Amino acid sequence: MTSGEGRDSGRELRRIVRINEEIKTVVKTAYRINLMAMNAIFLAKRAGQSALGFGVLSNELRRFATELEQQMIALGQATSGSVVTVTAMVKEAHVVRMLERARAECDGRGRDALDALLRRHRETTLTDRRDQVAALNRNLAMMIESTARLVEMGGVLARSAKIEAAYGGGFSQSLKQVSSDFEGTIGEIRKSLDSLGKFRLREFAA
Amino acid sequence: MKTMRVIYEDGGHKWHAIVRDPNRPHYLIDTNEYLVVAGDDAILVDPGGSEVFPAVFSALSTQFDPRKIGKLFASHQDPDIISSLSMWIEFNPDIKCYLSWLWSSFVPHFGGTKETFIDIPDKGMDIVVGGQRLQAIPAHYLHSSGNFHLYDPKAKILFSGDVGAALLPAGEDGMFVENFDRHIRHAEAFHRRWMGSERAKRDWCSRVSQLDIDMLCPQHGAIYRGADVKRFIDWFAHLDVGVIHG
Ligand SMILES: [Fe+2]
Ligand SMILES: [Fe+2]
Repeated sequence: MTSGEGRDSGRELRRIVRINEEIKTVVKTAYRINLMAMNAIFLAKRAGQSALGFGVLSNELRRFATELEQQMIALGQATSGSVVTVTAMVKEAHVVRMLERARAECDGRGRDALDALLRRHRETTLTDRRDQVAALNRNLAMMIESTARLVEMGGVLARSAKIEAAYGGGFSQSLKQVSSDFEGTIGEIRKSLDSLGKFRLREFAA
Repeated sequence: MKTMRVIYEDGGHKWHAIVRDPNRPHYLIDTNEYLVVAGDDAILVDPGGSEVFPAVFSALSTQFDPRKIGKLFASHQDPDIISSLSMWIEFNPDIKCYLSWLWSSFVPHFGGTKETFIDIPDKGMDIVVGGQRLQAIPAHYLHSSGNFHLYDPKAKILFSGDVGAALLPAGEDGMFVENFDRHIRHAEAFHRRWMGSERAKRDWCSRVSQLDIDMLCPQHGAIYRGADVKRFIDWFAHLDVGVIHG
């Protein structure tokens, strides 16, 4: 382990912060979709018979937004959980850095004892940490994948709403506007998810 | 690396002082650590901050097998005293740390578990190292509210923590006090500012005046020997403390 690892561990903490910020953005957007869908439901009610299909889709979009929000909260909890692991790694990195420095400075018995200690540390603690980070990443990837599927479904709902808008008679124009707003917003979420998918925690204490 | 020097030796009973680190960054206060060895047992007295761990550990290993250190003594909670704790525990998970009960839930923020700490009650206690009985002497409020010095009645050495500390300029930083009057100028501001209680100071002075002391070993600065020990105690007794001057 070298002194670079302290900075690496700091980078992991900043990475977690960025994930959390992205999650917050998606949660805000989900809330916006929820409001938009509620408005769309009222609009469809006013449009009456001709916008029945649009109304059903708006209801589905609302449900989608709620579910998205819940998934994002779960994702947020998982990321905060990883702060615990990364913090432990930061602390360990500090201890090991000091032991390494002591090892470099001494010879004889002290050096032998530290050699043995650092070897043991590499074999046990570091392997454990690597497994933990791998598990965290797997979990994160799985959650993001399942959210991506949900967002795909949201995209389908928004496109269908656009088609249904065409049958909206006198309300057609405003329904079309609402449905393209839906599409645009879901596009934003997709972008956030794409960048979330790129985040991976790295084990740095090797 | 720091220097480790034997300051007392009688058979297997030894006091080592670990002092002066030429590579220490200037923003860290210089500290003295002491290793008391008795037979196969050893206690490291005020082990130091985490930043100086490498210098302390390597100096110590030149003359002593660090695996034999089973005990730490922390006079109080300060970072320059005991923030290296997590490294010592990593090195020896069974190590015990003697510390005022007052700090027992604070210092674990530096490392260790309930099992690591042995609480020293306010009135002090005996700490047996090898065959030697050392005494934790109360020095509360000087400067820490839960604070102990360590007295070795056989070696006649009193480890006095921050009491007796001096911030020595380069060139005047010998291991022992050679000229008391010149030396004490570097101790005055420190004691005025850091020692918080006049009453605690008087208590301490009368307590340690009754001890037979050949060497008074502070955590910063130089060691007082012989007549300088009494000179220091008298000087301290008359010093105005616990007030900020101008
Ligand atoms: Fe202190
Ligand atoms: Fe100190």
